[in-house]
Amino acid sequence: MEELNIILNGKPARGLKGDTILNAATRYGIEIPTLCNDPRIEPYSSCYICVVEVEGLRTLQPACSTRIAEGMRVETENARVKKARKMALDLLLSNHYADCMAPCKQTCPAGVDVQGYISLIEKGLYKEAIGLIKEVNPLPAICGRVCVRPCEVACRRNLLDEGAAVGIDYLKRFAADQDLASPDKYVPEIAPSSGRKVAIIGGGPGGLSAAYFLQTKGHQCDIYEAAPAAGGWLRYGIPEYRLPNDLLQKEVDNITELGANIFYHKKLGENLSYREIKDQYDATILTIGSQTGTGVGCEGDDAEGVYPGIVFLKNMEVTGQKYDFKGKTVAVVGGGNTAMDCCRTSIRCGADRVIVVYRRTEKEMPANPIEIHESKLEGVEYMFLTNPTKINKDDSGKLKSMTLIRMELGEPDASGRRRPVPKEGSEFDVEVDIILAAIGQKTDVNFISDINAFAEGGELKVNRWGDIDADKTTLQTGIPGVFAAGDGVTGPATLIEAIAQAKVASRSCDQYLKGLPLVAAPYEFLSKRDNFRVQQKEEYAHKYLHQLRQEMPVLDPAGRHNFCEVELGYASEEIARQETARCLECGCVEYFTCKLKKHATTYGAEQKKFNGEFKTYEVDFSHPYIEIDNNKCILCSRCVRICREVVGAAALGLVNRGFQTYVAPAMGNSLTETHCESCGMCISACPTAAISENVPFKPGPVKLESMECIDPFTSEGFKVKLLHKGGFVMRAEGVANDLNPEGNIGTQAKFGYHLFNRTDRITKPMLRENGRFREISFDEALQVLTDKLKSTNPAAVAFFAGGTLTNEALYQVQKLARGGVKTPNVHSFLYLGRRKGYEEITRDNVPLTQIRDAKRIYLVGENLHLLNPLVNHLVFSTRFRAGIPVELVTTGAEARLAAKVDKVHTVKSYFHFFRAMNRMILAEGLQNQMYIDAHCDGFAGYREQMLKEDYQQMLQLAGGCDQQCTENIARQYNLDHESIFIFNLSEVTAAAALEIKNLALLTGKPGKHAAGLIALREQPNAQGIFDMGMHERFLTGGVYISEEHQKRVADAWKTGSLPVPDKCLTDLFAEETLQTVVIMSEDPVGKAKDQEEIHRWLSKVPFLVVSDSYMTETAALASLIIPASLPLELDGSFTSTQRILQQFQAQKAPVSDLNTYQWLHKLLVAFGLHSSGEPSEILAEALSLLPVTRPRAVFTSRKEDTPASRFRFDSSLK
Amino acid sequence: MGKTQVIVGLGSCGIAAGAGKVYDKIRAIREVEKLDFELKKTSCVGMCFREPLVEVIDDTGHYIYGEVNEARAVELLDRHVVNHEVIRDYVVHTDLFATPDDSFFRGQVKIALRNCGQIDPESIEEARAKGAYKAIAMIAGKGLTPEQVIQEVLDSGIRGRGGGGFPTGMKWRFAFNNKADKKYVICNADEGDPGAFMDRSLLEGDPHAVLEGMIIAGYAIGASEGVIYCRAEYPLALKRLDIAIGQARKNGFLGTDVAGIKGFNFDLYVKEGAGAFVCGEETALMASVEGKRGMPTKRPPFPAESGLWKKPTNINNVETYGNIPWIILNGAAAYAAYGTEKSKGTKVFALAGKIKNGGLVEVPMGITINDIIYKLGGGIKGNKQFKAVQLGGPSGGCIPAYLGETIVDYDSVNATGAIMGSGGMVVMDETTCMVDMARFFLDFTQKESCGKCTFCRIGTKRMLEILERICSGDGHEGDIEMLGELAHQIKDSSLCGLGQTAPNPVLTTIKYFRDEYEAHINQKKCPAKVCKNLLTYEIIPEACTGCMVCAKKCPVEAITGNKKEVHFIHQDKCIKCGDCYSRCKFEAIRLI
Repeated sequence: MEELNIILNGKPARGLKGDTILNAATRYGIEIPTLCNDPRIEPYSSCYICVVEVEGLRTLQPACSTRIAEGMRVETENARVKKARKMALDLLLSNHYADCMAPCKQTCPAGVDVQGYISLIEKGLYKEAIGLIKEVNPLPAICGRVCVRPCEVACRRNLLDEGAAVGIDYLKRFAADQDLASPDKYVPEIAPSSGRKVAIIGGGPGGLSAAYFLQTKGHQCDIYEAAPAAGGWLRYGIPEYRLPNDLLQKEVDNITELGANIFYHKKLGENLSYREIKDQYDATILTIGSQTGTGVGCEGDDAEGVYPGIVFLKNMEVTGQKYDFKGKTVAVVGGGNTAMDCCRTSIRCGADRVIVVYRRTEKEMPANPIEIHESKLEGVEYMFLTNPTKINKDDSGKLKSMTLIRMELGEPDASGRRRPVPKEGSEFDVEVDIILAAIGQKTDVNFISDINAFAEGGELKVNRWGDIDADKTTLQTGIPGVFAAGDGVTGPATLIEAIAQAKVASRSCDQYLKGLPLVAAPYEFLSKRDNFRVQQKEEYAHKYLHQLRQEMPVLDPAGRHNFCEVELGYASEEIARQETARCLECGCVEYFTCKLKKHATTYGAEQKKFNGEFKTYEVDFSHPYIEIDNNKCILCSRCVRICREVVGAAALGLVNRGFQTYVAPAMGNSLTETHCESCGMCISACPTAAISENVPFKPGPVKLESMECIDPFTSEGFKVKLLHKGGFVMRAEGVANDLNPEGNIGTQAKFGYHLFNRTDRITKPMLRENGRFREISFDEALQVLTDKLKSTNPAAVAFFAGGTLTNEALYQVQKLARGGVKTPNVHSFLYLGRRKGYEEITRDNVPLTQIRDAKRIYLVGENLHLLNPLVNHLVFSTRFRAGIPVELVTTGAEARLAAKVDKVHTVKSYFHFFRAMNRMILAEGLQNQMYIDAHCDGFAGYREQMLKEDYQQMLQLAGGCDQQCTENIARQYNLDHESIFIFNLSEVTAAAALEIKNLALLTGKPGKHAAGLIALREQPNAQGIFDMGMHERFLTGGVYISEEHQKRVADAWKTGSLPVPDKCLTDLFAEETLQTVVIMSEDPVGKAKDQEEIHRWLSKVPFLVVSDSYMTETAALASLIIPASLPLELDGSFTSTQRILQQFQAQKAPVSDLNTYQWLHKLLVAFGLHSSGEPSEILAEALSLLPVTRPRAVFTSRKEDTPASRFRFDSSLK
Repeated sequence: MGKTQVIVGLGSCGIAAGAGKVYDKIRAIREVEKLDFELKKTSCVGMCFREPLVEVIDDTGHYIYGEVNEARAVELLDRHVVNHEVIRDYVVHTDLFATPDDSFFRGQVKIALRNCGQIDPESIEEARAKGAYKAIAMIAGKGLTPEQVIQEVLDSGIRGRGGGGFPTGMKWRFAFNNKADKKYVICNADEGDPGAFMDRSLLEGDPHAVLEGMIIAGYAIGASEGVIYCRAEYPLALKRLDIAIGQARKNGFLGTDVAGIKGFNFDLYVKEGAGAFVCGEETALMASVEGKRGMPTKRPPFPAESGLWKKPTNINNVETYGNIPWIILNGAAAYAAYGTEKSKGTKVFALAGKIKNGGLVEVPMGITINDIIYKLGGGIKGNKQFKAVQLGGPSGGCIPAYLGETIVDYDSVNATGAIMGSGGMVVMDETTCMVDMARFFLDFTQKESCGKCTFCRIGTKRMLEILERICSGDGHEGDIEMLGELAHQIKDSSLCGLGQTAPNPVLTTIKYFRDEYEAHINQKKCPAKVCKNLLTYEIIPEACTGCMVCAKKCPVEAITGNKKEVHFIHQDKCIKCGDCYSRCKFEAIRLI
């Protein structure tokens, strides 16, 4: 390849001829942003995010499609380029009517990922949900009870007919309670100790949260608390009927368990001086709260009997005594949550009458509506639009009555609420005994002189409201290393705001301790539907299932004259799960991965800069796996192009032109009506979430963890990443590696992962007794099995194992059978009764990478796209790129593949069709005799036999394709050098497969570049069945049973001679001779074409043992069931259809006490065989038995076609 | 003494003006009256403003009669054909005496249009009589090599007439140099500019000239197949192309061994475009020919390297091909004798808009805009003030009246911010609002964007929205700057010519008529009195007779006043429909 010199951002660089600027820059670690480029498809250049400046060219050039040239000078990051990128993003975003983040999370001061935790609660992953919440809020159980829930106000569920938000807070409480009660409760990861110490002044929610965050960062936190207990206003302000102290303590304990200390009765400025702190600690966080209550603020509020509400509440907690308000009338002034706590507590103190006086209406009340509701149930009276003007005392200065004035609402004030205006002359008096003022609180920075006396490098200041002055973004005070958070900074605010502040202060403190510059959390671009228009009912109503909110069960109001917790929590997991279903999932599923969001963040894009008309679309959910949301589409066309250029299906297209363009299925309204193969490649191509997976669960989005495995469905051996949270798999992606450089994927791997979320796993051995299964121990199960195997005549025992087992397990099973039980009856249902022809056929397969160099490809069958998606993508991307013809030979007239190929040859019988071709070649002497002589045996006999046959009859039996057409194909294939027949062995009989192989040999192709055939197997380890000897005619090493090889194996196993098979297993079933049959990870009954026949066979077996991961139809017939591990749970290996042996590591723990290797090992030992439970040792033993020489190719042929597979290929995913 | 010939101009313009009926009438009279004259058809001679045209050729000479309706046709047959009386008043052009319309022809040089209006375009014999296929025959006869042909084209200095202005000979040489088993020649006949009809007229008037040009190009670059990508909206052109291709094939100018040149096999077919403007962009055009969505792709690779079906392809515009046979036949020097140093030969322009003589002219490069407008075009309609001319359609820009002495060649026009384009020339007078005009063209390009690239798809949409709001009185400070910002970025970051040129009308109008934008935005006034929302209708008290017509007809009862008293328009109610203005017989309503 020719090398070219270019100048990249002023530095010399090299690239290959044909490279795009993007490729060349990427190789030098220069990231050029792009949305429309995908290395799997041809450059397109539509997004114009990747523009760069090329010297000498007038306009900016898209780096994705501009090829480098010698001496080219490219600037990828200058001001002109950045400006263009930003504008491209601004423009794209001006028509991107979509939310990155749900309004609940956006509204939450702490940014709690509501949608994420709802998703986790839906799946019962409470610990994970709490982990997610605790990233920003360490007090979920408390918050779940007393939060003011701005999230629920913002919840779009409010826009539906039910008019009620999702029970966000209830769900949080439920998860938190579940976690607190769990023996395996969530504990955050703690960073290694930094050796730094932080003093936290105040043990309220801010201080506790700061301690949590900093402790997890590895810093030692000591909290100094003035009161005798932790919690601040949570304990001293909020009454127990709302927040029980023991519950509060549990969350406090969770924090001290991380290593934080709390020192009580320590008040800064009184019995604690900043001097001590400064000496002992590296940083300080002031979370002092707003401690002082204010009075009513009118004439006479110094009367006896008038108290700040918080003093009233705090006194009870401090003294442990409740007030006795029997016979008294209590007036509570104010409309916030403190007012609610005061009035409801007053009721609980036995007051005769409790009146809430509020100057606006109920609608404007800041208190939580549920509190108002409950207070009314408890008997609280309300006087709205009234305000005290005077408090009247008796002679002794004691409260007598209160003069109130009527108010009316005027113009809105700064808060947006209508300002109350007094009505002249509407005063009236109300007799009251107690007045509780719940109007406001003040911060008392009593320690300011102390701290400033000892502080260095700065000074602590208070602002004009009397709160601590701290930098808005970092919350550092005037003193370096002293941070402040919570009410002490903001003035009286909410719990969640204090927590949010603690997060900010902790972050800055952590930076300070690490010697880093203090910087705010990085900017994050968020696309918002609200940037386009206010969200209205019409847009949401009638689009979702009607579902009423699961209301919180509460104590009977009649029984509330106590401080028992009123709210009881959701009664069951099912109720919580039902409530999660109400979440509309407003936030984008690609929140963590969206490229548009990423680049918009990098370039500081502005969604509203070019606001104008925008397009809105209904989301298309009609396809079972793929959903299309054009609102999010940026028209990069990657989906459209990958479907055409790689998959070959061309199921998607662009509709309309210009600004009206959108992506839609090329034919018809639904993808299901097109040639869509459901391979999911479009999803993998989409840079946003315009095409995403239509999942039957709530995907979050949550940050997922990854498990890697070899595709558990097909035989191609490509790697699949299973992305999961807490074991619940939510997504599958192809992994790029040598075998699959583009990281492609197909239907089964992409969408079949739901299998791993099945809840009906077999975890314990089960023995059938009186028609019912009883769970037993492994020991018992293995004993029963050993006894049974030992007591049955070996000739009446059979072992079956399928191509989903690892090589190691397959090896162990056949070793147990042949060496231990001494039965020759070893097989796999996959190949049962299908006769010879499938064994060596894959030996001369063209390497998959050579498909790219083919000049013509013939596909045989009808389901290649489902059975072997990787090969499908290779074939059709080659067809697109190189323009080579692809032809299909099929018996399925309606084959979906037919729409994708250049020519379709419909036949009735593959066997006769290929025979006719071979017969013609032989008759005309067109065969490659030189090749045959050098490489093949058995030609003379084959030729002789074939020429005896009636050619015309062959053609007739082949059907469909006439003589000329058949001969044309044969001649063409013979003539072409790089020409390949590709087929899956599940679709052709053994005899037909042999004839295809004969055709390849006759034309002298196998072994030459991109020429011959590719025979593909149908299960991930179907090749291993032969290689490991799990076949009635093969021993380990994939060698036909021979005396010599049997001896070699027997010697290796140190066992006597091995049994010799005399009857095939089909006959043994038919004759009903089998007494004990062991079936491992195969479901012949469930997958059989003729279910009755297989069912009959197996139900005649007196003792059927089935080992599987899930209950199958076969397992249902078993006498004994033994759990099987999934390959995901094992170390082991698969051999791909191309005979590539790939080892893998266990990705998760087995669900049963013993994994498959371990119990097989126990059985082997029980039969006196040397064995190991270690997969690496098992494989080493198996590999030591591989043959040393490679046999010559042989012409083998049959006169009649052989039976097809008894089992159906199941393309429907479960 | 030859038979008298009566030739009816049956181009699209003629047919639109009623030439079809005139032709039928003349034929009917000839049959009924058993008159002895030859009735023939031709196509547009360029004088679209006088259509229908009927030419009479008799022993005394050629006479073109203008505005011949059916009645005039009867008169013409009676007086001229039967009684040999030339009706001088109706003659718009003749060699024998001067007519007021002669100025239209003075200064024109017809090379591409050499046979338009001269022959029956459906007759290869007539075309051949006028020299069609002589160029390819000459190549065959002299045994000119492809290199020699390319050199001739190169020497002529002809540049692409589709608007790009790339030297045709160089394009051919690139395609020639790229070796491949198959090459293509494409004729771009996807003329889509509003107000442009050069290609249509040429295809309708002399399809053989275009075919011959393509055949010569095919010979020169080594192509075996040609495609004419023609708008489906040009049914007559399509029909005549079809006839011409059939005739050419029959006469051995298409097929194997074309024109007797051994081994030169060339055939062509017509591909009908679905009317997407962007398909005039060569890469989108080829995608469309291949049956794909008409969307442009990145160049390079240029078509000459990898074009139709990824094979080397030469694409030229109709007019370019139309010139080629003349160049070969008359020599490069003859062609290069016309024009300026860097722009040789002639250029066809379609004159439209507020001009007296709207039609098709072919002028040598180097003529001034003023000459085209005033000498050939006869000046502005209604003797209004010439304000500007839009060159290059929606991809081009306007040239203000004060730059009227600008000469017409590629470089001079580009220097003004406009482009030569394919030759659409829309003339504007004082009643044209330049903001509205920019809005009109942007509305066109915006709708014609294929939707592929961000800047073109959304950027032009946003520009249009800003222009719309300026025109409707909602413009605000910063709009001109934002337009400029968007315009420059769209030009700087678009894949194809459509996007790269779409902002031109906006940029040139801002450049030359910024005060109009400012008046719209700041004073909320449209100086040209075009933008409805910015108009105020007022009654001129001195002129108002109090007839009450306006008050009665006002749909929103915004006009009050008693009989014989001066009326009054209530501005808060007025919806600016203009009904009063058009109804007032006393010109008592003014627009401010």
